[in-house]
Amino acid sequence: MDATKSLRAIAREVLGREDIACLIGYEKGSYGFRAQPCVLTEPDQADRLIFSPLCVHNLTNYLTLEQIGPLSKADIGKGKIAVVVKGCDSRAITVLCAENGIKRENLYVIGVHSPGVVDLKKIERRFPNAVEPAEVSLEGDSFTITCEGETASVPRSELVNAKCLRCKNNVPQGCDVVVEGPEHSMEDDFADIAALEAKPLEERAHMWQEQFSSCIRCYACRNSCPLCYCSECILDKLRPQFVRRSVDFPENLLFHSARAFHLAGRCIECGECERVCPQDIPLMVLNRKLARDVKELFGYEAGADPEQKALFVTFKPDDPNEGIL
Amino acid sequence: MSSFEPKIVAFLCNWCTYAGADLAGTSRYQYPPNVRVIRVMCSSRINPAFIINALLEGADGVLVSGCHPGECHYTSGNYMARRRLVLMHRMLEYLGIHPDRFRMSWVSASEGAKWAEVVTEVTEAVKVLGPNVIKREQVWMQQSL
Amino acid sequence: MASKRIGVYICHCGVNIAQNVRIDDLRAFAAGLPGVRVAQNYMYMCSEPGQEMIRKDIAENRLDRIVVVACSPRMHEPTFRNAMKSAGLNPYCLEMANIREQCAWVHKDADVATAKAKSLLAAAVTKVSLLEPLEEREVPVTKTAMVIGGGIAGIQAALDIADSGFKTYLVEKDASIGGHMMQLDKTFPTLDCSACILTPKMADIKNHPNIELLAYSEVTDVKGFVGNFKVTVKRKPRYIDENICNACGSCAKYCAIAIKDSFNAGLSKLQALHIPFPQAIPAAYVIDPLACRYTREGTCRQCEQVCKDLNAINLDMQEHSIELDVGTMIMATGFEPFDANRKPELGYGRYENVITGMEFERIVSASGPNQGQLLINGKKPKEVVFIQCVGSRDKTVGNEYCSRVCCMYTAKHAHLVREKLPDAKITIFYIDVRAFGKGYEEFYDRVKGEEVYYRRGNVSEVYRKGDKLICRGEDTLLGQALEVPADLVVLAVGLEPSPGARELGQLLKLSKSPDGFFLEGHPKLRPVETGSDGVFLAGCCQGPKDIPDTVAQAGAAAAKAIIPLAQGMVKTETMVARVRAEACRACGYCVDACPYDAIALGEVRLGRATKTAAVVNEVLCKSCGACSAVCLSGAIQQSGFTDDQLLAVIGAIGKEY
Repeated sequence: MDATKSLRAIAREVLGREDIACLIGYEKGSYGFRAQPCVLTEPDQADRLIFSPLCVHNLTNYLTLEQIGPLSKADIGKGKIAVVVKGCDSRAITVLCAENGIKRENLYVIGVHSPGVVDLKKIERRFPNAVEPAEVSLEGDSFTITCEGETASVPRSELVNAKCLRCKNNVPQGCDVVVEGPEHSMEDDFADIAALEAKPLEERAHMWQEQFSSCIRCYACRNSCPLCYCSECILDKLRPQFVRRSVDFPENLLFHSARAFHLAGRCIECGECERVCPQDIPLMVLNRKLARDVKELFGYEAGADPEQKALFVTFKPDDPNEGIL
Repeated sequence: MSSFEPKIVAFLCNWCTYAGADLAGTSRYQYPPNVRVIRVMCSSRINPAFIINALLEGADGVLVSGCHPGECHYTSGNYMARRRLVLMHRMLEYLGIHPDRFRMSWVSASEGAKWAEVVTEVTEAVKVLGPNVIKREQVWMQQSL
Repeated sequence: MASKRIGVYICHCGVNIAQNVRIDDLRAFAAGLPGVRVAQNYMYMCSEPGQEMIRKDIAENRLDRIVVVACSPRMHEPTFRNAMKSAGLNPYCLEMANIREQCAWVHKDADVATAKAKSLLAAAVTKVSLLEPLEEREVPVTKTAMVIGGGIAGIQAALDIADSGFKTYLVEKDASIGGHMMQLDKTFPTLDCSACILTPKMADIKNHPNIELLAYSEVTDVKGFVGNFKVTVKRKPRYIDENICNACGSCAKYCAIAIKDSFNAGLSKLQALHIPFPQAIPAAYVIDPLACRYTREGTCRQCEQVCKDLNAINLDMQEHSIELDVGTMIMATGFEPFDANRKPELGYGRYENVITGMEFERIVSASGPNQGQLLINGKKPKEVVFIQCVGSRDKTVGNEYCSRVCCMYTAKHAHLVREKLPDAKITIFYIDVRAFGKGYEEFYDRVKGEEVYYRRGNVSEVYRKGDKLICRGEDTLLGQALEVPADLVVLAVGLEPSPGARELGQLLKLSKSPDGFFLEGHPKLRPVETGSDGVFLAGCCQGPKDIPDTVAQAGAAAAKAIIPLAQGMVKTETMVARVRAEACRACGYCVDACPYDAIALGEVRLGRATKTAAVVNEVLCKSCGACSAVCLSGAIQQSGFTDDQLLAVIGAIGKEY
């Protein structure tokens, strides 16, 4: 059965319940390939929901944005928030709950087995003139794309988001209800990370200097990250001032490395930071490096276990002494 | 190259390495003057961002030193520090910062001689690398005194 | 931020600092730093006139922050804090720049040393301007002490504390107190009988109303801090109730299992059910569970039958742990004789007439396996060779240190041989003779006059030739190789740290010196203190020493351990963690990172609302700062080491001056 239909049926039931205040899902966008997040409160709004390869956002980001309309504190008091999550998104909820960012009992989690979402940058490059809302679905190994009245078929591998190609597990965890579909899971071999590590130090230095020099410090990466939700961000304060206000390579390097470090053992690799970056900085190439090292050094994986303590507040006496004099 | 005198910023825990560095002094072990010590109570106090900050603020190399594993004055602080700093060391190298620019060591209160050796080794290695070029370009905010 | 009024005081430390650092340059530099109102220098800042200089300036120039540029803060921080306090200034508005240990003493070139001193001084001025006044707190002390180790050091320390009126727990891992001193025959240089002078003290332990003896017990966990330690003690089952057993010994007659007698250095046997030695305290029997037929195989229980009336024996006794509150602790875990098997060339373990000094003690002891007769294989030895420095002053076995007692106990042994065997030929191989104590040189002289041949040199090998042992070595004074035949070779083994002390040291966070013994607080001025407040050292756990030194040190440790008990209050840490609830995410990272369980999540008031945030118990906080580094939002900060302060120091120290 079609995921959209199942989702709408669930939404109708859920939004009719007394204990649920609202539902965060995706609806058809108003422009090109952009599906958009929506917040529904009534059962008769259920038919606005969609689920397709255009549903790229990690909606769990909204759960910690308490100041936004329907999610303001006053409303949360009225009931649970239902949220639609893909496999990767669901792991963000695991981390958020483990660190008290949100309370699981205040949520109603609707999981969807996502077959992979498109890379918006790639699809927009392929169909540069899409203005009217387009539709994308996955048929077998190809995306069927209906755009400006014409239908095309493009192999999945050409347009799918890179993160979906190495998806650890598309089965959402810890859900209240799941819209089932094909399951797949695999081990990330981090081949791209290893390839970059194999390059000479100077080459890597040059690459990151170029990338971070282009950063305009719009903070979109931080704001789109479901796990960057401190009410006061330590990296843009004046006292203490870790990062200076100037937008240049040294400060940007500090900002991005400190942010990556804050996410070490927490980043669930939804890739939102990289998706929203207007400068196309490969932030996941940094985040995944840390994810790989954390796994290799400490056997730790973000969001793997709801009971696990945070990476940096635990230790094993026989953790590696790597490089210590 | 030979005239380059690097600046090494060292964060030392009060109980082991700072005491070990004091012992090096009491024992009159001579070592390179390039090292500048910042005392903290425990290596677990070191926020990894301090290390990059030190590099940006003018250090050519950074050293963090604490008690040997199992000998932390606060039981487990050095274990927590080790996790963070080993990972930090890997990340800096990945970002193109030479691994010799950031080192860690375990030096106990009785290892004055080891402290002198560590400082010598770290300083020599950074000398070979030359000056750190990633330094703050503009100073917008001077801490008012 | 209101601008601070900073005073900078540069110490010459006689010539210690002044010979390598240009004080005038430094003072001129300090005077030009922002916020500095006064910059002075003086010969000895820590002296009374030096401190008075600071107090006077605080009053006259309304200084509110002080920087002392001198030695290590580990040395004199308390001195200058007190000076500030007496001048009415908050003692935590102090920063020290260490230009002695970490500058003048380690860099000879005055140019570089002065440049480095400027950088350290500038960092200190930067930091002091950001320091906030902190408040000192006090908490009550549990007026009880614990002494770990029941040798002469522990016995003396426990008696001294108990005599001062404080309850004292004495924890001993073996079935009886007494330690190694109990095994000795005579003591040098006075030749007192060791047991005769020790057993009255052991009896005092048993009878003292303030002492609770926990024999056959081990410390397994220590929590808390000075004044308020919580110690877990494991009580091993001795299978015989020490409070009921009257040491009649009837039961032992029925025990058929023989084990090595460790009190007699393994030279004789005793039963699995035994009393360690006749004068044991507690005066009670004990069953070795590794040997007892019942505990091993589940059958026998004969001893229980014998003791039916008294019913002291309970073979089903279980190990259990107790938790004790104590205010201060003394480590008196002693030493372990060097294992002579680690010097295989000397033939120990291969030839039964090669023995250690400790075995010799038992052989010549009237209470030993031979009732004091010096017999080897039933015969009186005609030629006796002593080899000194076995396992001491020997880098090949990792012991660079001198064990301090072997020269004298070997002299004593030689004297005892002469006493028992007037015709024996006695040779002592030595490297140097160290007879440093009161009456020691005189005793050594006396022994030399008793036809004892001191040959300077090491023995490289001991081998058998016919029915004799041959000690091959070199007389370094004559520069000639020599071989000395022997019927008995006694190895003067050195002293090593007790193996069980290592783990215990980790529980108490004690540092070790390179020799493996516990490190004292300061080699000169804090000889019985440690890096852990409220924990003191007595006896050989701190380093090899003889009985008089051990007793003296035990008394000193007791006196130090009594201080907090007598004061009744201890100061808690001041540089504690503080939380800014507005920024706290209540993620609980700090709660998990705190080694002292000093942080918990709780509801705090924030304006009119309440919010969940981290809450610090300032009494439990030990000021490590682990919480501050794991906090993502910087909401929790260690006072005196805040992100703001440390970043400013990083900036100041990175600059060129």
